[in-house]
Amino acid sequence: MIGLVWKDILVMRKTLRAYALFLAFYFILGVMGAFDISMVTAMLQVILLMLPISAFSYDELAKWNRYAMTFPLGRRAVVGARYLFCLLTALFANACGLLICVFTSLMGRSQLEENLATVLVSLGVGLFIVDIMLPLCYKLGAERARPYLYVVVFFPIIALFLASKLGFHMDLSFLERMSTTSALAVFALVPLIALVGAWLSWLVSCRIMADKEF
Amino acid sequence: MTNSIEIQGLCKSYGDFALRDVSFTLPGGAILGLIGENGAGKTTTIKCILNLIRRDGGSITLLGQDNLRQERTIKEDVGVVLDECFFHDSLRPKDISAILAPVYRDWDDGLFRDYLDKFKLPGNQFIKEFSRGMKMKLSLAAALAHRPRLLILDEATAGLDPVVRDEILDEFLGFIGDEEHSILLSSHIITDLEKVADYITYLHQGQVVLSGSKDAILERYGKVGCTAAQLEQIAPGGLLRVRKGPFGCEGLTADREAFRRVYPGLTVDPASLEDIMLLIGKGEPV
Repeated sequence: MIGLVWKDILVMRKTLRAYALFLAFYFILGVMGAFDISMVTAMLQVILLMLPISAFSYDELAKWNRYAMTFPLGRRAVVGARYLFCLLTALFANACGLLICVFTSLMGRSQLEENLATVLVSLGVGLFIVDIMLPLCYKLGAERARPYLYVVVFFPIIALFLASKLGFHMDLSFLERMSTTSALAVFALVPLIALVGAWLSWLVSCRIMADKEF
Repeated sequence: MTNSIEIQGLCKSYGDFALRDVSFTLPGGAILGLIGENGAGKTTTIKCILNLIRRDGGSITLLGQDNLRQERTIKEDVGVVLDECFFHDSLRPKDISAILAPVYRDWDDGLFRDYLDKFKLPGNQFIKEFSRGMKMKLSLAAALAHRPRLLILDEATAGLDPVVRDEILDEFLGFIGDEEHSILLSSHIITDLEKVADYITYLHQGQVVLSGSKDAILERYGKVGCTAAQLEQIAPGGLLRVRKGPFGCEGLTADREAFRRVYPGLTVDPASLEDIMLLIGKGEPV
């Protein structure tokens, strides 16, 4: 499985390098006060959304899965490697985000707790999208799954907008009554739930792969 | 010695095409050439062996172990080169070692580098800059570097020039120098198989029509040249297949010595594998 994760990193090294440069750019601008921290977390989301689909596209182009099925690993490990790659990328990207948050907070430009909450929710949302997109990529292939990415991203936004127009408001005032630590613990639940979702998503992807012929 | 491959009653249906009751054996220390026209079922058979597709029936044993129940164990000992190179264009040969070393228990980085040197493949060049011959050599180096006991090759020499093909065939012969090693080689290039194969299995429309030792096949089978009038005099069953042309007829016999004894007036030449394929593939049953 490590070999396959390593393969994804090597195949996408140019892309990863470009994203790293973007992150460095945002980091500098964030530190200089040109950007709000939300721009950095938005950038992290873009990375998380694009990477899995790019990884699938590269594999489809090389017909890699047909070759990977000849390895002494089994189909579940091949699927697991892709999830591990996405998870590692998400963790790395958010670790960078966290670093920027801590840095800007130490410089007094923003509040550390608020930034931490933003990073945690951002990580969770990114992972949720990965949870949904990976089985779709396995089922439909990267190109046919791509339009669903927009559905996955925009549907919750439209739903929330419509809900507020219809007078439904989410009451988050309980967070203000909680201590900072407790509130952060609540925010930490978001990526944790997304991780459980990743396990379920992996099971679904394994099922899809088990039925596939190469 | 354990057989490297044993296939019994293999069936796989796609609706418009089906493998029917395919059975053959590859003994250890030998090369088996799998021949057949396009769409005859060679790749489907190999995919079933590697469990890339689900079979509908039959059994497959690799190196004495069931290919489904012990799939992960036996794949440690199987090297695979399929009809194309599956490495991404953005990778370099030295990356392949980094990827495959954790995949195979017995991956030998030194051996992989030796093969890169032997095949004159630059370790730092991107694969997108490689020719087809270089890509196939790289695939072969990757297949050999984990020290497999069985090599499975599907049209691995297709589209290569005779010099590169000869180099690769020499490598195959070197590989089976160890009696525990064996090769299943599917190819359209009959001359290659005549050069290296010990056994031949001929698939035609999803069925095995001929399987056995290459030498025995070449010793027994014969090509009969005759006129339409002479053909009329041959008893039913005397020939397996016949091709009728404007300048005469050609027939295939499974026992040319016996045929000569019965029909001493007719010309019977040894049949090459290509003759056998053409007569079975394009000829009419008698």
